[in-house]
Amino acid sequence: MASISFRNVTKRFGETLALDDVSFDIRDNAFFCLFGPPLSGKSTILKLILGLEQPDAGEILIDGRPVSNVSPAKRNVAMVFQNLALFPHMSALDNVRFPLVERGIDAATIRARVSDVSDKLHIGHILHKPPAQLSGGERQRVAIARALVRDPVAYLMDDPISALDARLREETRVELRRIQQDMGKTLVYVTHDQEEAMSVADGMAVLESGRVRQIGTPEELYRHPNSTYVASMLGAPAMNVVPMALAARMQLGAGPAGAASLGVRPENLRVARGPGARIAEVEPLGGFTTLTLDLEGTQMRATLRGQPQFTAGEDVTLRVDEGRAHFFDGAGQALA
Amino acid sequence: MNRSLSFDIFRYAAILTFLAISLIPTVWMISMAFKPIAEWQASGADLTWWPNNPTLDNFRFIFGESGSELIVALERTAGRPILASLLAASFGTLIAMGAGTAAAYGLSRFGYGGNLPLALIQLRLFPPMAVMIPVMIMWAFLGLIDTWYGLALIYGIVTLPFAFWLMKTFFDDMPREIEDAALVEGCSRWRVFLRITLPMMRPALASSALFVFILNWSDYLIALLLTTRDWVTIPVYMASLSSSMTGQLYGAKAALGLIAAVPPVIMGIAIQKQLVRGLTFGALKE
Repeated sequence: MASISFRNVTKRFGETLALDDVSFDIRDNAFFCLFGPPLSGKSTILKLILGLEQPDAGEILIDGRPVSNVSPAKRNVAMVFQNLALFPHMSALDNVRFPLVERGIDAATIRARVSDVSDKLHIGHILHKPPAQLSGGERQRVAIARALVRDPVAYLMDDPISALDARLREETRVELRRIQQDMGKTLVYVTHDQEEAMSVADGMAVLESGRVRQIGTPEELYRHPNSTYVASMLGAPAMNVVPMALAARMQLGAGPAGAASLGVRPENLRVARGPGARIAEVEPLGGFTTLTLDLEGTQMRATLRGQPQFTAGEDVTLRVDEGRAHFFDGAGQALA
Repeated sequence: MNRSLSFDIFRYAAILTFLAISLIPTVWMISMAFKPIAEWQASGADLTWWPNNPTLDNFRFIFGESGSELIVALERTAGRPILASLLAASFGTLIAMGAGTAAAYGLSRFGYGGNLPLALIQLRLFPPMAVMIPVMIMWAFLGLIDTWYGLALIYGIVTLPFAFWLMKTFFDDMPREIEDAALVEGCSRWRVFLRITLPMMRPALASSALFVFILNWSDYLIALLLTTRDWVTIPVYMASLSSSMTGQLYGAKAALGLIAAVPPVIMGIAIQKQLVRGLTFGALKE
């Protein structure tokens, strides 16, 4: 129901520059991921959207309208906080219906909405309990229910499932994706987990110390990272970034002018028996196998399908898939 | 095995020693409160741990009844001082907690005030006597001498730094996100404070209030200087329980001491659950 735009937004906390001239647009109904390491400014962006903080410079627009003078309550944006921020002195039910009660909505509507959202998140049976008596996953769902219960223009989530174990996390993120599509609302999602970002987002922004490094769909960012930073943030194992001097050893030409380093994703590295690099380690992972290679003292990783018959110590020849080499200049910027 | 046994013996010996140091005077006071005059005046071998002929005479005496065994007649009874102490200490606590909580919340959330937090506690470094003389003069000028509200006012002022510092620590420890969540979900600043912050702070408020109340309740010096007759408090009244003929009236003092111990003990029991309960108890994920 709403697009969100940042126009040259800068935010300082004392001496610290939290956001430095940040601009981006999140289109309506998008599942948008803010992705970056801790303290890169992801949470600050959410606080600015919510109105809990004011930008020092620049402008924030929700649905095309500047919101600098709109209070958090009036912005009608819902939020799931990283630490969930449930109200400990209230039952789960009171937590979930809090946004509706505060807005003076009539009791019948509240009942209907609460039962609707608790069905969706399967929390009907725990609504009478206080947060202290709920498990981590249950608290999680109560916090999400509190955000979903009203009809905001957008949802913001600050790494809300990081405390869950891997299995539950995977389930929850798929469910979040489904709910977001059901509701047809913009969802801004902060995460430091690249897999999470890649798997659910329609669009994402990669942040580094208060700056947006690249914006695009996960696929665009993965295929065409504009810098070694973005390249290394996405994908596991990370992209191999090696000096240009090693290009010839992978049967590549000189590359574009000014190329200082070469990036190759592990899955784009072809390996065949022959002279060149030496296998340092073999990790069979079932569906695929990860090789750690030693190429003239530089470590590289390659992922191969299935369980190929390689052993540590063997010599192999490397080749890069056609058109899948990335070239970067001395400052780490991508070259076309 | 051996080492842990000797350690256990040492541990229990230490615990018992500390228990004895803190409990024996209390036990002695309780015992004395129920002793007839002959027993609490006894010395040497006649002195017993427990009253041989337990009696309520000491209590009757301080409330002005009979006093058959005690030769002195009391100038005043204990009723009025107990009322004075209750009023002054309670309203003093109310003033300190009200102003202290408001100041602590403001400074904890909005961070202004420069060195004010430190300055507030530094006031406590003055010897009370140095401040009390000017206060006496001011209170006399304002007509607050020997009134319970005059006493309550100065109690509130004197214990404000404690209330402030205790509450500030609690507010500092409360996660900001909980208030942020309430702001986002439609509350105004005031409403957040009333609906979220204060209810969450109930354990903190209860334990701080008890601490402040005990400070006020046990004050002697200020009450001695600011009250003369009508509104003397329990400690001041207790000091006056002596006579030229019998010396200190220990039995009566013990009885009054026992009565004075009741309000803090009741409050302590009443908020025990709040004291042990943690501040956030499950609002956040670990």
